[in-house]
Amino acid sequence: MKIFRHLTTSLLLFCAMVAAGAFAFALVVTFVVSAFRSVEISAWNVVTSQIARWFLFAIGVYVIHNLLPIAVAHGRTRREFLLAASGFTVVLALGMALLGWLGFLVEGGIYSLMDWNVDAHGSPVAYFLMFLAWCAVGMFCAAAFDRFGAVGVFSVPIGLVLVVTTTVAIPGSGTLPFIRDIPALFGSSWHLVSVVAFVAALAGTWAIARDMPVRLRTM
Amino acid sequence: MFDDRSPIYRQIADRIKADVLSGALKADEQVMSTNQYASYYRINPATAAKAFQQLVEEQVLYKKRGIGMFVSAQARDMLRAQGRETFFGEVVDPMVAEALAIGIPLADVIRRIEQHENNGGV
Amino acid sequence: MRIDVQGLTVRYGDVTAIDDMSFSLSGNKIYGLLGRNGSGKTSLMSALAGYRKPSGSVQLDGLPVFENAAAMRQVCLVRHTADAADKGDKVSHVLEYGAAWRDTWDNDYALELIDLFGIGMGTKAGELSLGQRSALGVVIGLASRSPLTMLDEAHLGMDTPTRYAFYDALLHDFMEHPRTIIISTHLIEELASLLEEVLIIDSGRLVLQEEADVLRSRGTEVTGNAADVDEFTAGLTVLGEKSLGRTKAAMVYGALDDEQLVRARQLGLELGPTALQDLFVHLTDPVGGKR
Repeated sequence: MKIFRHLTTSLLLFCAMVAAGAFAFALVVTFVVSAFRSVEISAWNVVTSQIARWFLFAIGVYVIHNLLPIAVAHGRTRREFLLAASGFTVVLALGMALLGWLGFLVEGGIYSLMDWNVDAHGSPVAYFLMFLAWCAVGMFCAAAFDRFGAVGVFSVPIGLVLVVTTTVAIPGSGTLPFIRDIPALFGSSWHLVSVVAFVAALAGTWAIARDMPVRLRTM
Repeated sequence: MFDDRSPIYRQIADRIKADVLSGALKADEQVMSTNQYASYYRINPATAAKAFQQLVEEQVLYKKRGIGMFVSAQARDMLRAQGRETFFGEVVDPMVAEALAIGIPLADVIRRIEQHENNGGV
Repeated sequence: MRIDVQGLTVRYGDVTAIDDMSFSLSGNKIYGLLGRNGSGKTSLMSALAGYRKPSGSVQLDGLPVFENAAAMRQVCLVRHTADAADKGDKVSHVLEYGAAWRDTWDNDYALELIDLFGIGMGTKAGELSLGQRSALGVVIGLASRSPLTMLDEAHLGMDTPTRYAFYDALLHDFMEHPRTIIISTHLIEELASLLEEVLIIDSGRLVLQEEADVLRSRGTEVTGNAADVDEFTAGLTVLGEKSLGRTKAAMVYGALDDEQLVRARQLGLELGPTALQDLFVHLTDPVGGKR
């Protein structure tokens, strides 16, 4: 519980601050663009659907690569840490999805005020599940690289497979290669696929990091 | 502070004995605690404790439960008696050997000792 | 805290760092772990701290340490600051980890030590000098108040006054809060008087485990006529020899009995004590060959 509390209090605040900064930046860019041409897309959707998942991925990497060894060095077991980190992933993805939603609300207000064109964005659930899967895949890849060195590169295609479908339900996040028509097939059943991807990535992380040696680092 | 060549507890014990002999530590006077000794000389407290243990066994010190270690009443006399036993073997004989080795006649040595006696000791 | 190591082996690929090592420590002492570079000190400590899954067994107070929350809680291993923080973390942040993740952490004491070593709270761990990083490691190690605290080369890069401040802090805190402390070092001369028990390891094997004061009385330097020295030391454990003309000095390991002392006197041999440092050098000397 101590680890979970520390992760949420320290990292959640940091991520919220990053999100707020990104929102302010997107807004500024939108206003600058509006001076030259008409605004046709949601800048905040670019942030939430494209950039945010990589940010969540990076947080996942940070949690395993940087924080797990520190936890062990402070007398915590990997099991305790992974449990806390899994819970933290859910809370973080939830928090970021809520912030994304809040951003859309504010942005929607500003766009209608300025009479700009707002394009479609996904549901909060879709963002939540995308963030969830990306963060878990970040943890999975970090665990693989930390444990197996260069051989960890095999985790990358696996990670790609796991996250490829998470963006299906989100407009503006890019289309799938080869199979562009598939998204329409299942409708909201895609959410289930994201949940499975999240669980699979977490299980992979657990399997790899469960008895991973912590190397003594030198600075 | 301590040489690293013989057990430190023995060096500490010897030092306390020397203090008792010279009168720096008097009968029934409290000696420093193990921990004080350890911090002062930067040594492991167990080593200091071992020295005290040895001195208690030799009846140089006695323990007052919960208070500390004290110099026993007979410590000085006892150490002096022990010193006298070994004095000739450990101090005089090697000195004589050294004097002969470097060519000082024993008569000179004796004269020097007599000078000390006439000056009233040292 | 009692430590039992049974048949511990640590391998990195083809390299065997710890080779089937077994020993027990009764605990609540300051132990010195002595060994040359690459002798396996750090690997041994990592296994004791649950950093890696041991082949063989490592038990703390009878509990296997690896992935055992109850045992892990009691352990702290510090090698400078590196494991307990990130380069980019500020010193204040580094201490927060300790406060947040350790039940036994004493934050007031940590701040006192930070002050003693003159470490800036706002400095990033990666920007501290080597000596200060080591000092920060000592802060983490001591303030964790772990029943088993291991300091791996904790004095690295410290200047002399800082090292003495470290020794004093260590000794003082050990007396206030007795616990098992293991220090690995090559600075034997300086640390020797702080140690109660010594473990010497070499090439992943335990060479000896002995009370420091007993060890000090174990080595004897025998000096005299070369032929006489050879006669006297025949059948004894000779760790090293050096000759000057017809004079020879041999370092003998093991207590000498009365008969041997008499014989030495008859032969006109001089018997002198040896320093812990010399004993260590000879016990781990790969070219000595006379173990």
